[in-house]
Amino acid sequence: MNNTVKAYAEAAFAIASAEGNLSEVEDELFRFGRILQSNDELRETLGNQRLPVERRQQIVEDLLDGKTTRSTMAIISLLVNVGRVADIPKIVDELVGRSARITGTQVAEVRSAVALSDDQIAKLTEALKARTNSDVTVRNIVDPKVMGGIVTQIGDSVLDGSVRTRLNQLRDAF
Amino acid sequence: MFTYLTILASEEGNGFWIPADIKEVIWGTLAFLIVVGLMVKLTKAPIAKYYNGRIETITEKLNEAEQARVEAESERDRVKAALADSETEKARIISEAESAAQVILAETESRAAADAEAVKQRAQADLVAARNQAQSDLSGELTRLSFGAAERVVEASLDDAAQQRLIDSYISQVGSQN
Repeated sequence: MNNTVKAYAEAAFAIASAEGNLSEVEDELFRFGRILQSNDELRETLGNQRLPVERRQQIVEDLLDGKTTRSTMAIISLLVNVGRVADIPKIVDELVGRSARITGTQVAEVRSAVALSDDQIAKLTEALKARTNSDVTVRNIVDPKVMGGIVTQIGDSVLDGSVRTRLNQLRDAF
Repeated sequence: MFTYLTILASEEGNGFWIPADIKEVIWGTLAFLIVVGLMVKLTKAPIAKYYNGRIETITEKLNEAEQARVEAESERDRVKAALADSETEKARIISEAESAAQVILAETESRAAADAEAVKQRAQADLVAARNQAQSDLSGELTRLSFGAAERVVEASLDDAAQQRLIDSYISQVGSQN
Protein backbone atom coordinates (compact mmCIF):
# COMPACT_ATOMS: atom_id res chain seq x y z
CA MET A 1 0.00 0.00 0.00
CA ASN A 2 1.49 3.33 -0.99
CA ASN A 3 2.09 6.30 1.25
CA THR A 4 -0.59 8.43 -0.38
CA VAL A 5 -3.28 5.91 0.52
CA LYS A 6 -1.95 5.73 4.08
CA ALA A 7 -1.88 9.53 4.32
CA TYR A 8 -5.50 9.89 3.23
CA ALA A 9 -6.53 7.05 5.57
CA GLU A 10 -4.79 8.84 8.46
CA ALA A 11 -6.54 12.08 7.53
CA ALA A 12 -9.95 10.36 7.43
CA PHE A 13 -9.19 8.67 10.75
CA ALA A 14 -8.22 12.00 12.29
CA ILE A 15 -11.37 13.76 11.02
CA ALA A 16 -13.68 10.98 12.24
CA SER A 17 -11.90 10.73 15.59
CA ALA A 18 -12.07 14.48 16.07
CA GLU A 19 -15.77 14.43 15.30
CA GLY A 20 -16.24 11.53 17.75
CA ASN A 21 -18.07 9.30 15.26
CA LEU A 22 -15.27 7.05 14.06
CA SER A 23 -17.29 3.87 14.05
CA GLU A 24 -20.16 5.42 12.17
CA VAL A 25 -17.89 7.10 9.61
CA GLU A 26 -15.93 3.94 9.21
CA ASP A 27 -19.09 1.97 8.50
CA GLU A 28 -20.41 4.51 6.02
CA LEU A 29 -17.11 4.80 4.20
CA PHE A 30 -16.86 1.01 4.11
CA ARG A 31 -20.30 0.72 2.49
CA PHE A 32 -19.55 3.52 0.04
CA GLY A 33 -16.25 1.87 -0.88
CA ARG A 34 -17.95 -1.45 -1.62
CA ILE A 35 -20.66 0.28 -3.66
CA LEU A 36 -17.95 2.05 -5.62
CA GLN A 37 -16.15 -1.25 -6.25
CA SER A 38 -19.26 -2.91 -7.61
CA ASN A 39 -20.61 0.03 -9.61
CA ASP A 40 -18.40 0.78 -12.61
CA GLU A 41 -20.56 3.63 -13.86
CA LEU A 42 -20.45 5.50 -10.55
CA ARG A 43 -16.70 4.93 -10.24
CA GLU A 44 -16.02 6.17 -13.76
CA THR A 45 -18.30 9.18 -13.40
CA LEU A 46 -16.79 10.35 -10.12
CA GLY A 47 -13.29 9.70 -11.45
CA ASN A 48 -13.87 11.44 -14.78
CA GLN A 49 -11.46 14.40 -14.81
CA ARG A 50 -13.24 15.96 -17.79
CA LEU A 51 -16.32 16.55 -15.66
CA PRO A 52 -16.07 19.72 -13.54
CA VAL A 53 -15.24 18.87 -9.97
CA GLU A 54 -18.27 20.82 -8.80
CA ARG A 55 -20.49 18.53 -10.86
CA ARG A 56 -18.89 15.43 -9.37
CA GLN A 57 -19.22 16.78 -5.85
CA GLN A 58 -22.84 17.58 -6.53
CA ILE A 59 -23.37 13.93 -7.52
CA VAL A 60 -21.81 12.82 -4.21
CA GLU A 61 -24.06 15.18 -2.28
CA ASP A 62 -27.15 14.01 -4.15
CA LEU A 63 -26.26 10.41 -3.41
CA LEU A 64 -25.33 10.74 0.26
CA ASP A 65 -27.31 13.73 1.52
CA GLY A 66 -29.28 12.71 4.58
CA LYS A 67 -27.89 9.17 4.47
CA THR A 68 -24.46 9.71 5.99
CA THR A 69 -22.81 11.91 8.55
CA ARG A 70 -21.30 15.21 7.48
CA SER A 71 -17.86 13.81 8.24
CA THR A 72 -18.35 10.95 5.78
CA MET A 73 -19.61 13.31 3.09
CA ALA A 74 -16.70 15.70 3.70
CA ILE A 75 -14.13 12.91 3.40
CA ILE A 76 -15.65 11.54 0.19
CA SER A 77 -15.97 15.05 -1.28
CA LEU A 78 -12.31 15.66 -0.46
CA LEU A 79 -11.23 12.45 -2.21
CA VAL A 80 -13.36 13.26 -5.26
CA ASN A 81 -11.96 16.79 -5.31
CA VAL A 82 -8.33 15.60 -5.35
CA GLY A 83 -9.02 12.90 -7.96
CA ARG A 84 -8.58 9.90 -5.62
CA VAL A 85 -11.86 8.16 -6.40
CA ALA A 86 -10.13 4.99 -7.61
CA ASP A 87 -8.23 4.79 -4.30
CA ILE A 88 -11.29 5.12 -2.06
CA PRO A 89 -11.70 1.35 -1.43
CA LYS A 90 -8.00 1.04 -0.50
CA ILE A 91 -8.16 4.14 1.71
CA VAL A 92 -11.24 2.75 3.45
CA ASP A 93 -9.56 -0.63 3.97
CA GLU A 94 -6.53 1.12 5.45
CA LEU A 95 -8.78 3.26 7.67
CA VAL A 96 -10.70 0.21 8.91
CA GLY A 97 -7.48 -1.70 9.51
CA ARG A 98 -5.94 1.21 11.38
CA SER A 99 -9.04 1.62 13.53
CA ALA A 100 -9.13 -2.12 14.25
CA ARG A 101 -5.48 -2.12 15.28
CA ILE A 102 -5.97 0.85 17.61
CA THR A 103 -9.14 -0.49 19.20
CA GLY A 104 -7.93 -4.10 19.23
CA THR A 105 -10.86 -5.30 17.16
CA GLN A 106 -11.16 -7.35 14.00
CA VAL A 107 -13.33 -6.36 11.09
CA ALA A 108 -15.67 -9.00 9.76
CA GLU A 109 -16.81 -8.36 6.22
CA VAL A 110 -20.26 -9.91 6.03
CA ARG A 111 -21.88 -10.34 2.63
CA SER A 112 -25.55 -11.19 2.36
CA ALA A 113 -28.25 -11.01 -0.30
CA VAL A 114 -30.40 -8.82 1.93
CA ALA A 115 -29.32 -6.34 4.60
CA LEU A 116 -28.94 -7.75 8.10
CA SER A 117 -31.09 -6.24 10.80
CA ASP A 118 -29.43 -4.60 13.82
CA ASP A 119 -30.46 -7.56 15.90
CA GLN A 120 -28.91 -10.02 13.46
CA ILE A 121 -25.71 -7.95 13.32
CA ALA A 122 -25.53 -7.91 17.11
CA LYS A 123 -26.03 -11.67 17.33
CA LEU A 124 -23.49 -12.33 14.61
CA THR A 125 -21.01 -9.99 16.27
CA GLU A 126 -21.37 -11.90 19.53
CA ALA A 127 -20.99 -15.23 17.77
CA LEU A 128 -17.86 -14.06 15.97
CA LYS A 129 -16.41 -12.56 19.16
CA ALA A 130 -16.83 -15.89 20.88
CA ARG A 131 -15.31 -17.68 17.93
CA THR A 132 -12.24 -15.43 17.59
CA ASN A 133 -11.84 -14.46 21.26
CA SER A 134 -11.50 -10.83 20.21
CA ASP A 135 -13.63 -7.79 19.61
CA VAL A 136 -15.25 -7.89 16.21
CA THR A 137 -16.80 -5.14 14.13
CA VAL A 138 -19.25 -6.40 11.52
CA ARG A 139 -19.44 -4.62 8.18
CA ASN A 140 -22.47 -5.78 6.29
CA ILE A 141 -22.38 -5.63 2.49
CA VAL A 142 -25.46 -6.41 0.41
CA ASP A 143 -24.34 -8.61 -2.45
CA PRO A 144 -27.01 -10.23 -4.66
CA LYS A 145 -24.44 -12.75 -5.91
CA VAL A 146 -24.65 -14.47 -2.54
CA MET A 147 -28.28 -15.41 -3.40
CA GLY A 148 -29.07 -16.37 0.19
CA GLY A 149 -27.31 -16.91 3.51
CA ILE A 150 -24.09 -15.15 4.51
CA VAL A 151 -20.39 -15.12 3.64
CA THR A 152 -18.17 -13.77 6.39
CA GLN A 153 -14.53 -12.90 5.94
CA ILE A 154 -12.61 -12.13 9.11
CA GLY A 155 -8.88 -11.84 8.70
CA ASP A 156 -7.82 -14.72 6.51
CA SER A 157 -10.76 -16.91 7.49
CA VAL A 158 -13.91 -17.26 5.39
CA LEU A 159 -17.11 -18.68 6.83
CA ASP A 160 -19.21 -19.43 3.78
CA GLY A 161 -22.87 -20.24 4.37
CA SER A 162 -24.18 -18.87 1.07
CA VAL A 163 -26.71 -20.56 -1.19
CA ARG A 164 -24.45 -19.68 -4.14
CA THR A 165 -21.55 -21.68 -2.72
CA ARG A 166 -23.77 -24.65 -1.92
CA LEU A 167 -25.09 -24.67 -5.48
CA ASN A 168 -21.56 -24.46 -6.82
CA GLN A 169 -20.45 -27.34 -4.60
CA LEU A 170 -23.38 -29.39 -5.80
CA ARG A 171 -22.52 -28.61 -9.41
CA ASP A 172 -18.87 -29.51 -8.86
CA ALA A 173 -19.91 -32.83 -7.32
CA PHE A 174 -21.41 -33.76 -10.69
CA MET B 1 58.00 -63.32 -141.51
CA PHE B 2 55.47 -60.77 -142.51
CA THR B 3 57.73 -59.78 -145.34
CA TYR B 4 57.93 -63.38 -146.53
CA LEU B 5 54.17 -63.76 -146.29
CA THR B 6 53.80 -60.52 -148.16
CA ILE B 7 56.06 -61.85 -150.91
CA LEU B 8 54.05 -65.02 -151.09
CA ALA B 9 50.82 -63.07 -151.21
CA SER B 10 52.12 -60.89 -153.98
CA GLU B 11 52.93 -63.85 -156.20
CA GLU B 12 50.34 -64.96 -158.52
CA GLY B 13 48.25 -67.91 -157.27
CA ASN B 14 48.00 -71.33 -158.88
CA GLY B 15 44.30 -71.70 -158.15
CA PHE B 16 44.85 -73.73 -154.92
CA TRP B 17 45.40 -72.57 -151.44
CA ILE B 18 48.66 -74.60 -151.11
CA PRO B 19 51.53 -73.34 -153.22
CA ALA B 20 52.35 -75.46 -156.20
CA ASP B 21 56.01 -75.63 -155.33
CA ILE B 22 56.64 -78.21 -152.59
CA LYS B 23 59.83 -76.53 -151.56
CA GLU B 24 58.00 -73.48 -150.88
CA VAL B 25 55.71 -75.46 -148.71
CA ILE B 26 58.57 -77.02 -146.88
CA TRP B 27 60.44 -73.80 -146.38
CA GLY B 28 57.31 -72.11 -145.43
CA THR B 29 56.55 -74.79 -142.93
CA LEU B 30 60.07 -74.72 -141.55
CA ALA B 31 59.99 -71.02 -141.31
CA PHE B 32 56.69 -71.23 -139.57
CA LEU B 33 57.93 -73.82 -137.13
CA ILE B 34 61.04 -71.81 -136.49
CA VAL B 35 59.00 -68.74 -135.81
CA VAL B 36 56.70 -70.72 -133.58
CA GLY B 37 59.61 -72.28 -131.80
CA LEU B 38 61.25 -68.93 -131.28
CA MET B 39 58.02 -67.52 -130.07
CA VAL B 40 57.55 -70.39 -127.68
CA LYS B 41 61.09 -70.16 -126.47
CA LEU B 42 60.99 -66.43 -126.04
CA THR B 43 57.52 -66.14 -124.51
CA LYS B 44 57.24 -69.36 -122.46
CA ALA B 45 59.09 -68.09 -119.41
CA PRO B 46 57.37 -64.71 -119.17
CA ILE B 47 53.99 -66.27 -119.81
CA ALA B 48 54.65 -68.98 -117.26
CA LYS B 49 55.91 -66.41 -114.89
CA TYR B 50 52.87 -64.29 -115.56
CA TYR B 51 50.51 -67.18 -115.08
CA ASN B 52 52.38 -68.40 -112.02
CA GLY B 53 52.18 -64.90 -110.56
CA ARG B 54 48.58 -64.76 -111.51
CA ILE B 55 47.96 -68.11 -109.85
CA GLU B 56 49.76 -66.96 -106.73
CA THR B 57 47.79 -63.74 -106.69
CA ILE B 58 44.54 -65.60 -107.11
CA THR B 59 45.60 -68.10 -104.48
CA GLU B 60 46.44 -65.27 -102.12
CA LYS B 61 43.13 -63.64 -102.91
CA LEU B 62 41.42 -66.92 -102.31
CA ASN B 63 43.31 -67.35 -99.05
CA GLU B 64 42.44 -63.85 -98.05
CA ALA B 65 38.86 -64.47 -98.99
CA GLU B 66 38.93 -67.69 -96.98
CA GLN B 67 40.49 -65.85 -94.08
CA ALA B 68 37.90 -63.14 -94.37
CA ARG B 69 35.20 -65.76 -94.52
CA VAL B 70 36.59 -67.45 -91.44
CA GLU B 71 36.84 -64.17 -89.65
CA ALA B 72 33.34 -63.27 -90.77
CA GLU B 73 32.07 -66.60 -89.55
CA SER B 74 33.93 -66.05 -86.29
CA GLU B 75 32.43 -62.60 -85.97
CA ARG B 76 29.06 -64.03 -86.84
CA ASP B 77 29.48 -66.65 -84.15
CA ARG B 78 30.63 -64.01 -81.71
CA VAL B 79 27.67 -61.82 -82.56
CA LYS B 80 25.40 -64.82 -82.31
CA ALA B 81 26.91 -65.65 -78.94
CA ALA B 82 26.60 -62.05 -77.88
CA LEU B 83 23.02 -62.05 -79.03
CA ALA B 84 22.48 -65.27 -77.17
CA ASP B 85 24.14 -63.69 -74.11
CA SER B 86 22.05 -60.58 -74.47
CA GLU B 87 18.93 -62.70 -74.66
CA THR B 88 20.05 -64.48 -71.54
CA GLU B 89 20.87 -61.17 -69.87
CA LYS B 90 17.56 -59.77 -70.98
CA ALA B 91 15.78 -62.79 -69.58
CA ARG B 92 17.75 -62.47 -66.34
CA ILE B 93 16.99 -58.76 -66.04
CA ILE B 94 13.34 -59.36 -66.78
CA SER B 95 13.30 -62.15 -64.26
CA GLU B 96 14.97 -59.98 -61.63
CA ALA B 97 12.64 -57.10 -62.45
CA GLU B 98 9.65 -59.39 -62.10
CA SER B 99 10.98 -60.69 -58.79
CA ALA B 100 11.64 -57.16 -57.57
CA ALA B 101 8.20 -56.12 -58.75
CA GLN B 102 6.67 -59.02 -56.85
CA VAL B 103 8.58 -58.07 -53.71
CA ILE B 104 7.64 -54.41 -54.06
CA LEU B 105 4.05 -55.34 -54.75
CA ALA B 106 3.97 -57.59 -51.73
CA GLU B 107 5.60 -54.93 -49.55
CA THR B 108 3.28 -52.27 -50.89
CA GLU B 109 0.28 -54.44 -50.27
CA SER B 110 1.54 -55.25 -46.80
CA ARG B 111 2.27 -51.60 -46.03
CA ALA B 112 -1.04 -50.49 -47.49
CA ALA B 113 -2.80 -53.06 -45.37
CA ALA B 114 -0.90 -51.90 -42.28
CA ASP B 115 -1.62 -48.27 -43.09
CA ALA B 116 -5.27 -49.04 -43.66
CA GLU B 117 -5.39 -50.89 -40.36
CA ALA B 118 -3.67 -47.99 -38.58
CA VAL B 119 -6.07 -45.51 -40.16
CA LYS B 120 -8.95 -47.71 -39.14
CA GLN B 121 -7.62 -47.95 -35.57
CA ARG B 122 -7.13 -44.19 -35.40
CA ALA B 123 -10.58 -43.58 -36.83
CA GLN B 124 -12.07 -45.93 -34.27
CA ALA B 125 -10.11 -44.24 -31.48
CA ASP B 126 -11.20 -40.83 -32.75
CA LEU B 127 -14.75 -42.07 -32.94
CA VAL B 128 -14.63 -43.33 -29.37
CA ALA B 129 -12.99 -40.09 -28.20
CA ALA B 130 -15.53 -38.01 -30.11
CA ARG B 131 -18.36 -40.07 -28.66
CA ASN B 132 -16.95 -39.75 -25.15
CA GLN B 133 -16.40 -36.02 -25.67
CA ALA B 134 -19.95 -35.65 -27.00
CA GLN B 135 -21.28 -37.60 -24.03
CA SER B 136 -19.20 -35.48 -21.69
CA ASP B 137 -20.30 -32.27 -23.40
CA LEU B 138 -23.88 -33.39 -23.33
CA SER B 139 -23.59 -34.39 -19.71
CA GLY B 140 -21.95 -31.05 -18.91
CA GLU B 141 -24.60 -29.17 -20.83
CA LEU B 142 -27.35 -31.13 -19.11
CA THR B 143 -25.74 -30.43 -15.75
CA ARG B 144 -25.42 -26.75 -16.61
CA LEU B 145 -29.03 -26.55 -17.76
CA SER B 146 -30.22 -28.54 -14.76
CA PHE B 147 -28.35 -26.35 -12.33
CA GLY B 148 -29.40 -23.23 -14.18
CA ALA B 149 -33.00 -24.32 -13.75
CA ALA B 150 -32.37 -25.35 -10.15
CA GLU B 151 -30.73 -21.99 -9.48
CA ARG B 152 -33.75 -20.16 -10.85
CA VAL B 153 -36.08 -22.30 -8.76
CA VAL B 154 -34.00 -21.70 -5.64
CA GLU B 155 -33.75 -17.99 -6.38
CA ALA B 156 -37.52 -17.76 -6.84
CA SER B 157 -38.10 -19.61 -3.60
CA LEU B 158 -35.81 -17.30 -1.62
CA ASP B 159 -38.38 -14.79 -0.43
CA ASP B 160 -37.68 -12.49 2.49
CA ALA B 161 -38.78 -15.07 5.05
CA ALA B 162 -36.46 -17.67 3.55
CA GLN B 163 -33.61 -15.16 3.52
CA GLN B 164 -34.18 -14.38 7.19
CA ARG B 165 -34.27 -18.08 8.06
CA LEU B 166 -31.01 -18.66 6.21
CA ILE B 167 -29.35 -15.71 8.00
CA ASP B 168 -30.62 -16.80 11.41
CA SER B 169 -29.54 -20.37 10.71
CA TYR B 170 -26.07 -19.15 9.74
CA ILE B 171 -25.75 -17.03 12.88
CA SER B 172 -26.86 -19.96 15.03
CA GLN B 173 -24.41 -22.23 13.30
CA VAL B 174 -21.51 -19.81 13.83
CA GLY B 175 -22.51 -19.44 17.48
CA SER B 176 -22.84 -23.18 18.02
CA GLN B 177 -19.39 -23.91 16.66
CA ASN B 178 -17.69 -21.95 19.44
